[in-house]
Amino acid sequence: MGGLFNYVLRRILFAIPVFLAVSIITFLITNAAGNPVDIVRIGIKSITPAQLAALRAFYHVDDPLYVRYFLWLSDFVHGNLGQSLYTGSVAGMIVPWIGTTLELQIPSLFLALLIGIPIGIFSAKRQYSKGDYAITSLAIFGISMPTFWIGIMAIIIFSYYLHWLPAFGAVSAYPPYWWGSPFLDVVAHLILPLSVLTLVSIATITRLIRANMLEVLRQDYILAARASGLRESIVTYKHALKNAITPVVTIVGLSFGVLLAGAPALETTFSWPGLGYRFVVAATGLDLPVVQAITMIITIMVLAANVITDLVYAYLDPRVRIS
Amino acid sequence: MTAEKKQARRSASQWAVAWRRFRKNKSALAGGVIVLFFIFMALYGEFFAPYPPRSFACLYQGCTDLPPFTNWAHPLGTEPSGIDVYSEILHGAAGDLYVGVAATALSVAIGLVVGALSGYKSGAAAAILLGVTQVFFVLPVLILILLFSRIFILLVAKGLALTLIVVILGVFGWPTIAFVTRGEILRIKELEFVQAARSLGASNTRILFRHILLNVLSPIIVLSSLLVAGNILTEVVISFLGFGDPSTSTWGLLLQEGFLYVRTSWWVSLFPGIAVVIAVLGFNLVGDGLADALNPRIRE
Repeated sequence: MGGLFNYVLRRILFAIPVFLAVSIITFLITNAAGNPVDIVRIGIKSITPAQLAALRAFYHVDDPLYVRYFLWLSDFVHGNLGQSLYTGSVAGMIVPWIGTTLELQIPSLFLALLIGIPIGIFSAKRQYSKGDYAITSLAIFGISMPTFWIGIMAIIIFSYYLHWLPAFGAVSAYPPYWWGSPFLDVVAHLILPLSVLTLVSIATITRLIRANMLEVLRQDYILAARASGLRESIVTYKHALKNAITPVVTIVGLSFGVLLAGAPALETTFSWPGLGYRFVVAATGLDLPVVQAITMIITIMVLAANVITDLVYAYLDPRVRIS
Repeated sequence: MTAEKKQARRSASQWAVAWRRFRKNKSALAGGVIVLFFIFMALYGEFFAPYPPRSFACLYQGCTDLPPFTNWAHPLGTEPSGIDVYSEILHGAAGDLYVGVAATALSVAIGLVVGALSGYKSGAAAAILLGVTQVFFVLPVLILILLFSRIFILLVAKGLALTLIVVILGVFGWPTIAFVTRGEILRIKELEFVQAARSLGASNTRILFRHILLNVLSPIIVLSSLLVAGNILTEVVISFLGFGDPSTSTWGLLLQEGFLYVRTSWWVSLFPGIAVVIAVLGFNLVGDGLADALNPRIRE
């Protein structure tokens, strides 16, 4: 286990410089947009010199850039994510945002794996059959569509034309609720974005599993397993799938980091108030403290997802631990 | 088949074999046709467009918010703001193709150089390059791309906005290329033919460019094709969210406007989306076809 421990330690140590690099980039970029005081003043007609001085002091505008960076970083590390230019403390708001994003992304990931893996196996086992052609064609269409655009089409059909489902938000702000109860209301709001996101993920996972299965099924040890008289189902699920699924762990882990970022465009399409949507709103309004906080939170999550992925990978593939 | 023909076939180059396989693959060929059509549209689309880019002429001609297929002067309808959807799709092709291809070219250039150096050299320089690649690989790329576009678009001149997006996508898109290049070079540089070249006294540069890089090309070509598809999709997202160039016609910009009128004018959202799907599908089909054609493990 010593090898595994060292390996994990190395991965965690690698995450720290990445975090610092992203923090510097984010800080410099957001500062390039202008200083918060100017942006706040756009909305204010008259301001007394005392107020202006207080604002400048609050945002440390008169300090040199590197001092402001360290102040900001130290605040961030201590859990003070700054004040939104419009709505108040970011730290107080960001947890529900993360929750809303996960409410959409986690069921979607599970459903996509649950449906995508069997379809991929089926497609690989029957390579060049009609079913395989149908699946691969649908899958390549799936990965060629902008997710948010399928969302728009779904909204047009199921919300505006058929009036079956709500078009935006994660809940109704006030009664009447969809389908009569607050719980069913949440379900009703979830159906469209969840289906769209899941369909697109299924396409990706199916393609990946199919390609990996085809690679693995071609190898000699599969031939050996078959030759020794094992049942085909055992060869497929016990021998082939185990090796075909390892790269999927990486992809799922990496995409999990991306999932946490939310799909900004899809969330925007459905006005789904998660991290991605909030990022877009904040960036559009140049609400720089919010933009900085979301970028850094997403970075931390992506890095964490990476470390966990590496762990799982090292567990599944002993070769990783040794090298 | 005569003996001569057989001989000719056996000695066909790697690329000739790949082309023969690609030709037999119907979906790859369909993808190729789509890509060629897309390029044609990007180059000459403006001559088929009844209206100039971003033209609000309909505001004065009384042809705003027309549904599609009702008026042949506006086959795909018009926006409530007066923009003709058909013209705008034709004008948008150039921008989307430019972003897709130029950003990919930039990523491939960076990825090849970084990957080749970190694979072929050894020591501190190689380790640093590998580290940089790993850092770029784990970055939350989409959010950074959106952030860079949103902020820098405020700072650049109007005409440069699309090029800015090219640079941003290019700078964030190279790590996969670098990893693949490095992996292939690590594998190839130990093969006998490279050892042979070295023992014959070939220089490092000659070995790298003449012997190794040519062999690295086939996975890179496959990746590039898929990367063009991905870059077009990302550009569409950037423009759709309003972080792109509001003065240049792109399909994402059209989709953004369509979303404003999504309740009433569904056609403004439908048709540019179909254009995106077809174009991206073309590059994905070509990429898949190339992957099969260039894969030496698949025997005919």
